[in-house]
Amino acid sequence: MSASLSRAVNVLKEVIDAPIASYFASCVHCGLCAEACLFYTETGEPKYTPIHKLEPLRRVYLQEYTLIGRLLKWVGLSKPLSDAELAQWQPLVYDSCTMCGRCSMVCPVGNDIVYMIRKLREGMAIAGHAPAGVAAATRRTIEIGSPMGVKLSALKAQIGHIEAVTGLPVPLDQEGAEYMVLLSSMEIINFPEYLSAITRIMKQAGKTWTLCSTAFEATNSGIQIGVSDLARVIVLRIVEAAERLKVQTVISPECGHAFTALRWEGPNLIGRPYGFKVKHILEVLDELRAQGLLKTQGFGDKRLTFHDPCQLVRRGGVIEQPRNLMRMISSNFVETADPGKYNWCCGGGGGVSANDDAEAIRLIAFKRKKTQLDAVKPDQLVTACANCRIVLEEGLEHYQMNLPVVGLTEMIADHLVSD
Amino acid sequence: MSGESSLLIDNLARHGVSRRAFIKYCATLASLMALPPTAGRAFAEALAKASRPSVIWLSFQECTGCTESISRSHTPTLEGLIFDSISLDYHHTLMAAAGEAAEAARAAAMQANWGKYLLVVDGSVPMKDGGVYSTIAGISNHDMLMDTVKGAAAVVAVGTCAAFGGLPKAQPNPTGAVAISELVKDKPVVNISGCPPIPVVMTGVLAHYLAFGTLPELDKLGRPLAFYGETIHDRCYRRPFYDQGKFAKTFDDEGARKGWCLFELGCKGPVTYNVCATAKWNDGTSFPIESGHGCLGCSEPGFWDAGGFYRALSMPAEPLKVAAKAVAIGAGVGVAVAFANRAKKSVARTDHQTATPADLEK
Repeated sequence: MSASLSRAVNVLKEVIDAPIASYFASCVHCGLCAEACLFYTETGEPKYTPIHKLEPLRRVYLQEYTLIGRLLKWVGLSKPLSDAELAQWQPLVYDSCTMCGRCSMVCPVGNDIVYMIRKLREGMAIAGHAPAGVAAATRRTIEIGSPMGVKLSALKAQIGHIEAVTGLPVPLDQEGAEYMVLLSSMEIINFPEYLSAITRIMKQAGKTWTLCSTAFEATNSGIQIGVSDLARVIVLRIVEAAERLKVQTVISPECGHAFTALRWEGPNLIGRPYGFKVKHILEVLDELRAQGLLKTQGFGDKRLTFHDPCQLVRRGGVIEQPRNLMRMISSNFVETADPGKYNWCCGGGGGVSANDDAEAIRLIAFKRKKTQLDAVKPDQLVTACANCRIVLEEGLEHYQMNLPVVGLTEMIADHLVSD
Repeated sequence: MSGESSLLIDNLARHGVSRRAFIKYCATLASLMALPPTAGRAFAEALAKASRPSVIWLSFQECTGCTESISRSHTPTLEGLIFDSISLDYHHTLMAAAGEAAEAARAAAMQANWGKYLLVVDGSVPMKDGGVYSTIAGISNHDMLMDTVKGAAAVVAVGTCAAFGGLPKAQPNPTGAVAISELVKDKPVVNISGCPPIPVVMTGVLAHYLAFGTLPELDKLGRPLAFYGETIHDRCYRRPFYDQGKFAKTFDDEGARKGWCLFELGCKGPVTYNVCATAKWNDGTSFPIESGHGCLGCSEPGFWDAGGFYRALSMPAEPLKVAAKAVAIGAGVGVAVAFANRAKKSVARTDHQTATPADLEK
């Protein structure tokens, strides 16, 4: 057994906890999770059955933590995990799983399959069986500060640009602000509209807010690749910055997994509660709406539909907020089939969009989204996740569908009542 | 006994049995054998007129207990007297003659009553190694049986050894013992099983034969149905306790003192067909269960090999008790596994090496 493999097995032994033991013990092999997975529905290949993707973890669980498994291992009927097997499983665990959580949603015995994928990735990554693209993104996040290698200077350039366009100040490192706004690299480089929108919305709502020079990046590649040690480092940057600036609320940007990482995994990773609240931008906008601080004018008559980012609806419970906001600005909002918590993934979450190996399968899986959209035929597709947005744009381009994709926050900003 | 009447009734009278007592006995016997009430009179008339039939009694691999049971009693009984009233021409335990004279008596009785004599056999016949394990006057049991049976009217196999092989046939059956019915195929064979059999059963069969000239109705094991038609259990006076689920658990517990059912102490009554519970033993005194001991099942085939005498035929599974134990054991194993798993996990945690980006790109 190679050093990295034995380290990986040790990690798997470490991550197997009571929930995982009960999940494996209660799986009834019904196969419902297969029908819930877009990689299975679009390929029809049984190997994409979500619970099957967990086979290495299940083997370690059986061999290390059950009486029968120990006996079978002892008499040689259950083979120990090998590097070759992990290599064989890499496409299943990384390329064809976006951690969208739809399998967990439908499991009749309540097994949180995506939770187990997340834990299996801990071992896979340590064994060196994580995709190079995601590994490189993780290294850049740790070493440079952002998965795309965006540095503070790039952010400052964008700030200057936005201040010039909006005529409003973009606060940086302002202690005592109510909100600390985080961004994803994608929003700094590809979609600066988001920061511009925040600037205008906060101005209208009369809220104090700030960016932080040491923690402007929200995304957490450590979560995607599945290495808690690194995810912890990334989360701690934000926690320390927010507590230093004494902000009340940290706003997770339009990014699904960043919200999951900071809101749900973060406190467990650092082992203590935060001294501040974490909210997704849609939650904040809906609160401002409810308080009457978000005033919009005019309704677009374009046929709009909303793509629910998986991490927001299934893992985060942010379901009604985007619909409240959509109705503020659109008179022609239509739902796709399976809206809300049963929405289908764009196919690029969980690190898949950063994984070059996964490009072919990702485009096949996109057919699920295409089918949903073809049935509704919208003029514009709205979402609230920069990663979903870029994946959707690529997919639509690939299938030659002429459908613009916009972020919900910038749409709201475009309808703000002008003073 | 020359010059005296050979009629049964006269013989009985000589022994002081009144005619009234004889008719009463015949009625009892008829009812015991489940014959119609009118049969009692026919019985008496026929028996009274019967002349002493010749009986040849062969004893093979046996313990003489059957002879003891039937012939020996503390006071003369009607059964005993009826026995006295047959012409027992050959019985090597009882006869005065010995050696050449004894065998000559057998030959003489056979010749004189050819085709009419009754052959009574107690004991099983050894077949292994040419039958050398039991010989009389240099003749093997097998040869003597086959020779004697030729002129017999019928064969009565007395005792479990003769009827089913009994103790000699018990595992590992070193002498290759077999039952009489396995050797005699061309003559009627009545099995009067029991270790020993009940005297009245023996005399009942003899009386039936004497009175009607035929053998009584038999069950599938060749036993007289009148005596072997019901189980000990069905006629047992302790049966109500069985029905109430009241069982003695040991031979000296409260239940045993109260006379509860002995089923759990190994009583074979439920599977044993015999008349002990009604005819009883020792002049109608009692039968084993009345003495506080379960039935051994001695009148059934292979009773020596039917498991321990004190092992119950079957026991209720007591699922709740088993379940409680299983739960306790399961919980114990579960706790042990949990502790082992916790220890393993804590070792894994101790062995954890913090990951670096370099670990991911190999």
